[in-house]
Amino acid sequence: MSTPAIDEAELGRILARNRLTLTPDQVRAILPGAPIFQQMIARLHAPLPREAEPALTFNVEQC
Amino acid sequence: MPEILTIAEAARRISAKQLSPVELTRAHLERISRLNPQLNAFLLVTEERALADAAAAEARQMSGSLRGRLDGIPIAHKDIYNTAGIRTTAHSRLLEHNVPTRDAHTVKKWAEAGTVLLGKLATHEFAFGGPSFDLPWPPARNPWNTEHFTAGSSSGTGAAVAAGLILGGTGSDTGGSIRGPAALCGIAGIKPTYGLSSRAGILPLAFSLDHAGPLAWTVEDCALLLQGMAGHDPEDPASVNRSVPDFTAELGKGAKGLRIGVVRHFFETDHPASDATRKGIDDALNFFRQEGATVRDITLAPAADYHAVGYLIMITEAFTLHAPWMRERFADYGELFRDRVALAATVSGPDLVQAARRRRVLCREMAAAMENLDVIVSASQPGEAPRIADVAKWANMEKPSFTMPFNVTGFPAISVCTGFGEGGLPVSMQLAGKPFSEPTLFRAAHAYESAMAWRARRPAMAG
Repeated sequence: MSTPAIDEAELGRILARNRLTLTPDQVRAILPGAPIFQQMIARLHAPLPREAEPALTFNVEQC
Repeated sequence: MPEILTIAEAARRISAKQLSPVELTRAHLERISRLNPQLNAFLLVTEERALADAAAAEARQMSGSLRGRLDGIPIAHKDIYNTAGIRTTAHSRLLEHNVPTRDAHTVKKWAEAGTVLLGKLATHEFAFGGPSFDLPWPPARNPWNTEHFTAGSSSGTGAAVAAGLILGGTGSDTGGSIRGPAALCGIAGIKPTYGLSSRAGILPLAFSLDHAGPLAWTVEDCALLLQGMAGHDPEDPASVNRSVPDFTAELGKGAKGLRIGVVRHFFETDHPASDATRKGIDDALNFFRQEGATVRDITLAPAADYHAVGYLIMITEAFTLHAPWMRERFADYGELFRDRVALAATVSGPDLVQAARRRRVLCREMAAAMENLDVIVSASQPGEAPRIADVAKWANMEKPSFTMPFNVTGFPAISVCTGFGEGGLPVSMQLAGKPFSEPTLFRAAHAYESAMAWRARRPAMAG
């Protein structure tokens, strides 16, 4: 599954949306990691059976 | 220079009144004083506390009231373990002057067992960002060659054990942070089953992946140290309430009858390991066969699948914890920690849920694969330690980790030395077991380790 590349402007917007107000240099320092990480995320989105629930499914006995 | 003992041997001599805990402690303090300037393994040496602990142990020795095999044993803690009244920094500028008021649960347990606290050990910043050269303290160096990397994040513990500065120490492992330094420093290190040892009072990196465990020169020493750490703690929500077995119970029973699976594709195709690493594993498998174990290859999902699940969860949980500080003090973090963790801002809600769903699938896969096995074997690291200056910021994402699969599933895993590569630095293998099967894991690792000559060889600087 391919994912659209994140450019510097988009990464800056995503970081800002998470209230990380960084300098352009700080954003540029993170940018080379983004495509590698996006490939990892894409790997997670291969189809799963509908019954595959999260590993940390809510368990009332643990409350 | 006095010989460096194992914990098992030191305990035997202390029990027999052939070794003074105070003299043992002084020898280690002298060794730290001489070698730490080259290794940067210690961030803080607690000499006064160590001598007081040793004197108390010696008094118990003389009165015949030793508390067990850890009484009088010199240890140190990774600097994410809270120590009451003793600075605990996470190797970070953000906690440069942090002095906790309570011990971590495991710190308290080791102290109650009579260990001698020599100090606090280097870590990658907050157990993730390293090796970093922009922090208040330099990174730890590998005693086999100080130009080389220790791996991390329990970097100081790996270096300190290998150089004989301590007989054992604590580590934490979220994606391989115990087994990595154990592998590259040529020692033993176990990530126990998730929930077996409490994380209360240890600065977290990622709640659902963090494990606390020991590193030591030998497998037997790891078993002794884990004995002193394991047990239920209501202050850790993941802590399991079950009886703690005797981790040394199966040592010496050999490998006969063990059923061993080899995840060969992890280290042959998914992330090809060095020739020396593969030879070490093949030689170990031949040893197990000769000893009467059955060995067969097994297939799991690609290592990259486990790595993607673990890495995404790890940095997302870390970002959740650190976001308040990162918003206010971004530049106070080292570049490696802040830039790696900031990528979590690109994770969507569905991404995280999908990682959690896939985690369950991978857990079930590994449990099914282990149904008729006692141990699975893989690599710990792809090869010998690289030069510390050559470790790239994104290297931990570019190729799948061999250790992360067992953080994702929570299964116990231990790294042991399998010899030395072309550069003269250690290579290793990883043994993993079913949940709470640590006694069997120690049995297999000990059978191999005690039949090999690797434990007779120390780094040249250690004498």
